[in-house]
Amino acid sequence: MFRRDTPAETEFRMNVRTWLEANLPAALRGRTTRPPPAELMPWYHTLSRKGWIAPHWPKQYGGMGATLNEQIIMTEELARVGAPHLPVQGLNHIGPILMEFGNDAQKVQHLPPIIAGSVIWCQGYSEPGAGSDLASLSTRATLQGDHFVVKGHKIWTTWAHHSDWMFALVRTDPQAQPRHAGISFLLIDMHSPGIKVRPIKTIAGDDEFAECFFDDVIVPAGNLIGKLNDGWRIANALLGHERIGTSNPQFALIALERIKTMARASGIMADSAFQDRLAAASINVTAMAALFSHAVELTNQERSPGPESSIIKIFGSELLQSLNELLIEAAGGHASTEHPIATEFGEVEVATPYLQVRRATIYGGSSEIQRNVVARRVLNLPN
Amino acid sequence: MDLHLTSEQTLLRDSAAKFVAAAGPKVARGFRDQEASFAPARLREAGELGWLGILVPDSTNGLGLGLTELALVLEQAGRGLVCEPIGLAAISAAALAQGRAPHPMLERVMAGAALVVPALQEGAHGDDPLLPRTQAVGEGASLRVTGKKLFVCADSAEGFLVSASGRDGPELCYVARNAPGCTLSATQTVDGRKLSTLTLADVPADLAPSRQSSRNAVDALHNLALLALSCELLGVMEKAQEITFDYLRIRKQFGKLIGSFQALQHKAVDIYTRTEATRSLVYQIAANNDPYRIDPVLAVAVKAKASEDALIVTQACIQLHGAIGFTDEHDIGLYLKRAMLLSSLLGNAAAQRRRYVAIAELTA
Repeated sequence: MFRRDTPAETEFRMNVRTWLEANLPAALRGRTTRPPPAELMPWYHTLSRKGWIAPHWPKQYGGMGATLNEQIIMTEELARVGAPHLPVQGLNHIGPILMEFGNDAQKVQHLPPIIAGSVIWCQGYSEPGAGSDLASLSTRATLQGDHFVVKGHKIWTTWAHHSDWMFALVRTDPQAQPRHAGISFLLIDMHSPGIKVRPIKTIAGDDEFAECFFDDVIVPAGNLIGKLNDGWRIANALLGHERIGTSNPQFALIALERIKTMARASGIMADSAFQDRLAAASINVTAMAALFSHAVELTNQERSPGPESSIIKIFGSELLQSLNELLIEAAGGHASTEHPIATEFGEVEVATPYLQVRRATIYGGSSEIQRNVVARRVLNLPN
Repeated sequence: MDLHLTSEQTLLRDSAAKFVAAAGPKVARGFRDQEASFAPARLREAGELGWLGILVPDSTNGLGLGLTELALVLEQAGRGLVCEPIGLAAISAAALAQGRAPHPMLERVMAGAALVVPALQEGAHGDDPLLPRTQAVGEGASLRVTGKKLFVCADSAEGFLVSASGRDGPELCYVARNAPGCTLSATQTVDGRKLSTLTLADVPADLAPSRQSSRNAVDALHNLALLALSCELLGVMEKAQEITFDYLRIRKQFGKLIGSFQALQHKAVDIYTRTEATRSLVYQIAANNDPYRIDPVLAVAVKAKASEDALIVTQACIQLHGAIGFTDEHDIGLYLKRAMLLSSLLGNAAAQRRRYVAIAELTA
């Protein structure tokens, strides 16, 4: 809408589009929940063999070394063809963290398997008593000679039950003040003795996340990333960049198309009250696209927007929710149907995407926490 | 978020900010209930700075700049509650400069010596701009216009750019204020300025110049006006929220600065988010469109968003001030009133959405 591809980027986009059309299995397209590993990982491996699994990674680590614009094109083309969401904890989280903070041995051990898709990673941050107040986490890691002993409980851990490794925030100094000064960043082999994982079913019907119990789990001291008690800084170092990446307006545009299809099928598209709401939503998608290209422009100028990028997460996630609220309104009586709705324009999924997107304002720092951050760090309002 | 500007653009913004520093709430108050609703000398000053010819090609003595530059100036004008109709004059100049030979009024309009303003609106709800009820008959020297235009910023204007339905669709006509059959009746606006009803009874007119290759002149000017109003609305909401955030940092209740209360912090972030979204939208449209061929879907979208957000933001600013914000003495109310004026012109947010439904084909 606002960003225009250069001729070289157009060629890149068309290459990507053609290849995706030819190689993404039909059964994996347009899924509103993430397929289980047995179905999904072969697609991961296909992308990996093509060399496209990590557009944003430098070439030296097996990535594409793509420019930001090329990364955006990849995201848009994957969304366009209806590609399923890959497990991204390795690619988007621990991978970049290892590149920045890991030692050589850690990089050699962990980066190639992420590219190959031979291991799956999960992120062990939240705990039953530490959600929004993450710095109060209490899973203990006690250093005993050449290893840590880990005891505690992690929860809301995406794909923990499918994962081989976890990167975790653990408490290494219970007396530290402020509390986040006593937290370390640790890699935990999920096949270690003493770990129990229990999947948790979500309101959307899938078991995307799980809880993990650690009962005196032995973790080699060499699995510590960075220095002891420096985990908070490491975990937060790469957040701004990620907020921009996940705010691509392509997802909102797809939601908008789904609403239009449903509304035309259900007959509500002719209703002026509905049209007004749809116009408002569509205009907000245009504004989202503008915010996104603005942020991309600044990032390309190496003037990354910093904490201001929180507003993109707030605006984008709340917009996706309002779009899906409009979707169930468009579906009317069909909204309560669990299965895709058959219409003259093809099948439309309604309940599942609506339920799925409730998480958007909760994970990665809830909208309320984001507002606290913006109030203090951008607007400089007092404590 | 910062804008990505060239050094020339930054200079332009700074000089607009300097111009605006001499305006502000106090000056805007001074024009309330006065005969004149702005200072002609200040309009000439804007002309001397080149801003009224900002979109006019340099071949006809304009600055030959684009929408980003226009937006930078008008955003500042909105911030300073500037009363001089810089935006209306600048877009009228752009219209007068179209075609092979510019309109004879162009030079004086660019200099700020004469004011020409658009007269495009006929209904309270900003009806289809391409189907004006005002009629144009005849051609060349015998062109005559009959109809009625509402909400025209006619104060001190020497002429109007009037949309009228001609034989082959909508046409943009230049009508002189002193032409026989042209009458104005003014009403006071909420912020103490004037809007007029322009009645045209078989008034002699001439066609505004147009380029054959360009989009219809009426559509082009209308879309440009929507963006120009949005730029000013953006400035209004920005300044209003800055005043409000400052207040949250000094006002104490319950022994604490009220800006430390989470309920108020979240409201502050909500209006900040709206303002930033409108700002990105204004400047992305500005960067990606030619002045006289703005995508109508985007023009309507930005006016809808800016009109809605400016009211929501300035309303919240009153609320965050508490009782003091409800007084005439406090400046914050002036921003709400300016937002009321600008958001209603050429159709409010709901009117823009109705049009958006039609042109973005959100129909069965």
